[in-house]
Amino acid sequence: MTGRPGDSRERDRLRRTLVEAAVDDNLALIAGRRPTGEPRRRHPRFWVTWVLVVCVAALLTATVGPFSIGRTAGARAEGALPEAEPDLSLPPRALTPLPRAIAPAVFDLRIRRIVVDPGHGGDDPGARSQGGLAEKEVTLDIARRLEKLLTGSGFEVVMTRESDVFVSLRDRVLLANRAGGDLFLSIHVNSIPQPLRRGVETYYLGPTDDPHVEQLAGAENSASGYTLADFRTLLEQVFADVRSDESRRLAGAVQNTLYAALRRANPHLEDRGVKRAPFAVLIGTEMPSVLAEVSCVSHSDEAELLRQSAYRDRIAHALAAGVFDYAAPHGAPLLVAAPAPAPSDGPGERSHQ
Amino acid sequence: MTKDNSGVLHLGIDLGTSRSAVAASSGARHVVDSYVGWPVDMVARKILKREVLFGREALDNRPMLELHRPLERGLIKEGSAKDERAVRELLAHLISLAGPQQGQRVFAVVGVPAEALRVSRQHLRNAVKGIADSLMIVSEPFAVAYGLDTLLHSLIIDIGAGTTDFCVMNGHYPTEEEQRTLLNAGDAVDDQLMTLLRTRFPDAQLTIHTVRQWKEKYSFVGEPARPVIVTAPVSGKPTTLDITNEVRRACESLVPPIVETMLDLISRADPDYQDKLRHNIILAGGGSQIAGLAEALMAALAEVGGGRVLAVEDPVFAGANGSLAIAREAPEADWERLQS
Repeated sequence: MTGRPGDSRERDRLRRTLVEAAVDDNLALIAGRRPTGEPRRRHPRFWVTWVLVVCVAALLTATVGPFSIGRTAGARAEGALPEAEPDLSLPPRALTPLPRAIAPAVFDLRIRRIVVDPGHGGDDPGARSQGGLAEKEVTLDIARRLEKLLTGSGFEVVMTRESDVFVSLRDRVLLANRAGGDLFLSIHVNSIPQPLRRGVETYYLGPTDDPHVEQLAGAENSASGYTLADFRTLLEQVFADVRSDESRRLAGAVQNTLYAALRRANPHLEDRGVKRAPFAVLIGTEMPSVLAEVSCVSHSDEAELLRQSAYRDRIAHALAAGVFDYAAPHGAPLLVAAPAPAPSDGPGERSHQ
Repeated sequence: MTKDNSGVLHLGIDLGTSRSAVAASSGARHVVDSYVGWPVDMVARKILKREVLFGREALDNRPMLELHRPLERGLIKEGSAKDERAVRELLAHLISLAGPQQGQRVFAVVGVPAEALRVSRQHLRNAVKGIADSLMIVSEPFAVAYGLDTLLHSLIIDIGAGTTDFCVMNGHYPTEEEQRTLLNAGDAVDDQLMTLLRTRFPDAQLTIHTVRQWKEKYSFVGEPARPVIVTAPVSGKPTTLDITNEVRRACESLVPPIVETMLDLISRADPDYQDKLRHNIILAGGGSQIAGLAEALMAALAEVGGGRVLAVEDPVFAGANGSLAIAREAPEADWERLQS
């Protein structure tokens, strides 16, 4: 092994010093003092983090656009769509110093209260299929089904909207935080410029250099209710976010169950993977948070499937299964049962439009 | 620097989430699964004929036991008297396995997951009070570094069951800034593998213990050396399953967060020593045995100037051996001071 001090006397001195430090550390503990060790040093390159935050602010400013303007499907339909890649890559600048995360295991994290966020609503229809199916209607229906499944399994569910009303992203975030949610699950339906592409993808908070994801974040962040000044504060949380690991795990669990459940009814479904993106609802919420794009309304077959009650049920079951898988190691409520089997693969009844 | 004092038995203990090991100055070495179980009722007590069971025996008799894995997710749960008691029982069991002689004093160094040391220090100290004549608690990656004598410009990545601990050794006792803990570790891989297998084989009857055993036997990242074929009951009938892709996906979920944290810690080191640090990365813990992991980390290092990653030769006892080295090298006067 390398890393050994060359001279044996120097080596012995170093080992003695380290043992003394370990002893002092334990004596401090016995005496009820703060542990010994060097005082925290301010990192000489803290400005790098600052510069990074400013860069991300600039990125979001460019991406998000005017927050008060409602989103249309057309807004997403511009620009080329790069290949979707699972989130196995490093962040764009992996060497960037990241503030140290606090392990969630520090706390006794039981998952009890789930905030379910049906995307869009009211004057903001979200994406629309060619046949006129609106994202806001699909997300609300799936959210209601999910609410029943989760409630039936012992979770408390808080809905950010219960009907076809407009709720700004800011208000959704405030509601989730005030409710003390343990998890935040935002439900959306994708619209991809290439009409032949279809699939599911799940997002958690983080920077992205994928132009499609930037577009999507801009679209989903519309009508956020945040000002740029708010964003400045929110952005500082992006890299210091202690929920990142947990959100990634939750996103992985949701994506796995979504893809597995839906491909049975939709064999050509693409697994577009777990990705990072700066969605406003993910930045502002204080609990592990993900945004699931549960289907593509821009694909005619998927739009047709989305009209079916059975397919919506399947999506709701898959989302619930993802939450169960994530929550199980966290000590989910004891009465949590495995989700009921998803509906059969046959054509389902048409949902009420 | 070591002492030969037959009146004292020095112990190095690795108190892990999944397995715990003890190495004694007498040469004794033992490892047990970190499970502690108490019979649930009088009937179970009569059948088992024991007040408390440990390790594999506890796991095998789990229907009759209140089973605890005391350092789940690398911590003693705050306010959990049972977990404190389980830590205490487990340590006492490890000490008894080391076989101290009548009248021999026991000086023990206990290595624990770094996060447990940071968060549950007082709980740990309370839990272990009185079970040895004198006792010191250190973080596991520090113990590994000490045992391997990699104390300068090295980075220890200790991939355990509950946590992955990172510790940069710069010739001084590591500060908080030089240590990191991730929850992406063995248990998270088990969970993910279980989810993937349930998804692909919805009728297969799997338990987390079986899935964990498969992971420990077949884990790999990158290209598989051979297909991973296992047998499991499917609707009650033993069935052969090819789980190669699932094992790979579950294991590879560890790579991005480890790479990210590794590169971040290196980037924070003194620029003059970053090259040395990159070439002196040690993988320890059960996760160090994932085939191809060291190569995957070296591939990531290649993008920032190259580096070398080595896995410890004896992952089961690397921490216990390091703790034993600390125990033997600590002056007796210090052991006296630590007796309170």
